[in-house]
Amino acid sequence: MTPTSIGEFEELVLLAVCILDGNAYGITVKNEVEKHTNRTILLGAVHITLYRLQDKGLLQSELGNASEKRGDRRKRLFKITEKGMVLLRSAQEVRQKMWGLIPNVNTNS
Amino acid sequence: MRRSLLRKLGERLLHKKIGTSVREEFLGDLEESYEDHRASKGKFIADVMYLFDALHLIYGFSSTSSKYPTRHAMFTGNMFRIAWRNAIRHKQFTILNLLGLTIGIATCIAIGLYVHDESTYDTFYPKRDRIYRVNQPMIWGDWNTQFASTGPGIAEAMIEDIPDFEQVARLYNPGESTIRIGGDQPKTFVESNFYWADSNVFRIFDFPFIAGDPSTALTKPNGVVITQRTAQRYFGNDDPMGKLIEWKQNDTTYTSYTVTGVMADIPKKSHIDADVFASLYSIPMFKTGHQTWIWTIYATYALVKEGTDMASLSNKMQLLPPKWAATTTQKVFNQDFNSWTKGKPWTLHLQPLSEIYLGSAPWPSWHRYGPSGNPQFVVIFSVIGILVLALSCINFMNLSTARSGTRAKEVGIRKVLGSDKSILVRQFIVESTLFVLAATVAALGLTQLSLGAFNLVADKQLDLFSHFGDVRFIGVLVAFIIALGVLAGSYPAFYLSAFRPAETLKGKVRTGFKRSMVRNSLVVFQFTVSIALIICTFFVQKQLSYAGNLNVGVVKDNVLQLQYMEQLNDVNALKNKLENNSAFTNVALSHSIPPNVWEGDRYKAEGPNPAVVDLSYLRCDEQYLPLLGVEFLVGRNFDPGNAADKHKVILNETAVKTLGWGTRDEWVKDSPLGKHVVQAFGQESKLEVIGVVKDFNFNPVRDKILPLLIMHNDNDLHWSYHTGPLFLSMRINSAAVESNDDLQEIIDKVQADVKSIDPSAIFQYSFMDEGFDNSFRTERRMGVILNLFTALAVIIACLGLFGLAAFAAEQRLKELGIRKVMGAKVHELVFLFSSEFTKLVMIAILLATPIAWYFTDRWLSSFAFRTPIDAWVFIVAAMSALAIAGLTVSYQAIAAARTNPVETLRNE
Repeated sequence: MTPTSIGEFEELVLLAVCILDGNAYGITVKNEVEKHTNRTILLGAVHITLYRLQDKGLLQSELGNASEKRGDRRKRLFKITEKGMVLLRSAQEVRQKMWGLIPNVNTNS
Repeated sequence: MRRSLLRKLGERLLHKKIGTSVREEFLGDLEESYEDHRASKGKFIADVMYLFDALHLIYGFSSTSSKYPTRHAMFTGNMFRIAWRNAIRHKQFTILNLLGLTIGIATCIAIGLYVHDESTYDTFYPKRDRIYRVNQPMIWGDWNTQFASTGPGIAEAMIEDIPDFEQVARLYNPGESTIRIGGDQPKTFVESNFYWADSNVFRIFDFPFIAGDPSTALTKPNGVVITQRTAQRYFGNDDPMGKLIEWKQNDTTYTSYTVTGVMADIPKKSHIDADVFASLYSIPMFKTGHQTWIWTIYATYALVKEGTDMASLSNKMQLLPPKWAATTTQKVFNQDFNSWTKGKPWTLHLQPLSEIYLGSAPWPSWHRYGPSGNPQFVVIFSVIGILVLALSCINFMNLSTARSGTRAKEVGIRKVLGSDKSILVRQFIVESTLFVLAATVAALGLTQLSLGAFNLVADKQLDLFSHFGDVRFIGVLVAFIIALGVLAGSYPAFYLSAFRPAETLKGKVRTGFKRSMVRNSLVVFQFTVSIALIICTFFVQKQLSYAGNLNVGVVKDNVLQLQYMEQLNDVNALKNKLENNSAFTNVALSHSIPPNVWEGDRYKAEGPNPAVVDLSYLRCDEQYLPLLGVEFLVGRNFDPGNAADKHKVILNETAVKTLGWGTRDEWVKDSPLGKHVVQAFGQESKLEVIGVVKDFNFNPVRDKILPLLIMHNDNDLHWSYHTGPLFLSMRINSAAVESNDDLQEIIDKVQADVKSIDPSAIFQYSFMDEGFDNSFRTERRMGVILNLFTALAVIIACLGLFGLAAFAAEQRLKELGIRKVMGAKVHELVFLFSSEFTKLVMIAILLATPIAWYFTDRWLSSFAFRTPIDAWVFIVAAMSALAIAGLTVSYQAIAAARTNPVETLRNE
């Protein structure tokens, strides 16, 4: 299988799922991403991304508990997979490495 | 908590559009975020956001949904497997279904090929959109009908007066011509596709040239352009350019033509079927400036300039006849234009090339040259094709809904397990589409197998494989499969998916025969069509045999006829020879032979202010009428001993009436004998009537008997003296012919006699009864095809009925079992069971009768001699329909009634 690559928004969603650690579902992921990025995100965009990531094998999910606030409906809880973690790390490393190569940044720091 | 409209809408849409697997979490998330929004931004914003988010989700997941297992595998993944299992489990239904559909589709494909073939003639001409043929009124008869022949003057007038025409060219085919190729061993050919043409004909019809220059090939007299296959025929592999071919004239001398061009063979689907084009100015009788408007043996074709306004062009055309034809009428008839036309408008029509081959009224039904299609057949066959297809679709729908009982439980369980109605609908539509696909593939095979026979009957060269490369054909086929699959599948799909699961699982669903109005009406429709077709077929056959057995007033059997006698060096020598042949009782010469006496002219009775009337005429010698066995009412035949008789004439009864000399009863007081008929033009010579014969059919029996004037063929007062084809007829002594070998021997003897007089003569013989038969060839062909399709329609209807009966029998096994236990006899049960179906067939009979009567009457009205519409045909058709339906049903009925009740009842 060719190495999976992910986009910026996908990366944010993946990170949010990691942060939420077991309580990641549509709304919480949306709120988390909104909180850190200061931008408004549509719920649908989050859902689509979550499923796409699951399709790529970076996330796994199971149906969680229902809560009254949700009208007794269950939520789908997402967890990062091993593969997701590896990908996230490698993305981080790539950035780090590239940052390290920018001359200006290096002299200033 | 009350929900706002916006929220409800969002929720509803989500329910509808989003698969069950993710629906719950989405709704949950939406609700949660709604609560958040409401708390932070107020109810209205929350409502709007709810709907907006819902729509966004739907949008997001509809475009990507195929990637997600939004439905349970139970409902989608095994759609094909379920379809297959169902097909295998109910073999009988599957076979009935496939058989019916295959027959229906094969019929439709065959007819589709036929219709496509018929309607795509003349489409290969590059300038086809600008090519028109000039038609005029039938100036020799009914001025209201169009006539595809024109005089040569029209073309000249068009070029002279109207600038809108780029080219105008005339074609003239003299009929069968004798061609001689000289050399050490001269060869002769009979060429029926020999055309004289204006030199610019190739500027209108761009036939590709292999040798020679199309722009100059026919400019000089006695130039000739031949097709490749003709070159091969005449000259073998030699280079034909510059070679001579000789054309035999009626005076049996030859004129030479030089080959100035070789063109590619004309594709078969062209209404111009020329093999030889000869320069028009080589015709002996054709002189430039002749400008005659009544020599109507030409077909005139025009190429209009691009962007021409056809309406105004048509107006300009109408100015031509009064301006130009007047000289002709004056010179030939000594009448001015208006008195010659009797005030009837001489309208010129421009018929587009695309409508020539298959032109229906008001375009001429007959054109002088080339093959013509039959628009009536195309319509009849299209209708039949659609009907047969409809019948087989109905079968399919009926059998599928009938099966609903067995499938109701499956549907119920699927529904309970959470299957959507839309998934069920899809399942059924996929199933039916697969069926149609299978049937179509089978039908293609069946069509290919039976196309040979169909071609033979329809006189066509249809080919299925050549269409496979055609994107449109494949497109039509695919569209057809999908459309028919959806159409045929939709009724069972919606019918079955609408079941309430609770009821079907409790076994409450009733799919009995009585309940289904729709199904019953469909059966009635099927049988109405079948019965109507049976009745129509009956009448077509009845009319054909009526026409074949009609007393035509001449003894048409045992008459041997030789053609092309006008090209024989010495016809009288041959006649003398044949008269000494004991196999013949009569030998006679004539210039035309029934049923093809088409010549006619204008005559009037002698006297003050007589009306000018059109009479057909037959030119023959004194032996021809006795040979025909025509009955004389009064007067006598030509007397060979009386030289003056050659200027006298014999009329038929209708002609006497037409000339205003009354009917048979009035002849006692005022006999037509001794009166004079006057030729209504030119020299106005008087022709004394010496006899009147009983009407006989000298035209095909489709036409009514026209007034006929019989002239002696030595009558030199008539302009047609010594022109036109000549036939030698012999009545065979039936005692001399005991077997086909005898007949062949006679024919061989005649051939030897002909060759001994003129070795280069064409020997072509025919029999008069064949001539009469051949005039019904197209109808007979239609009859055969109609029989075939009627049989197919009946078979399909019966297949459907058989399936339904089988199903009903299955449904009613218990009922019949109980009845049997209670003491009902087998025959009573069979009757009970069959009566429901019989009722449907009865209704169909009632509906079919007027429909069939209407169409039969319309078809028969085109025949002058028509078979009566007898009630017994309807009764026989009705009885046979009942019998066929009865047999079909009773097989199932008897099987059901004979089942041991123990078997059917013990499970309860």
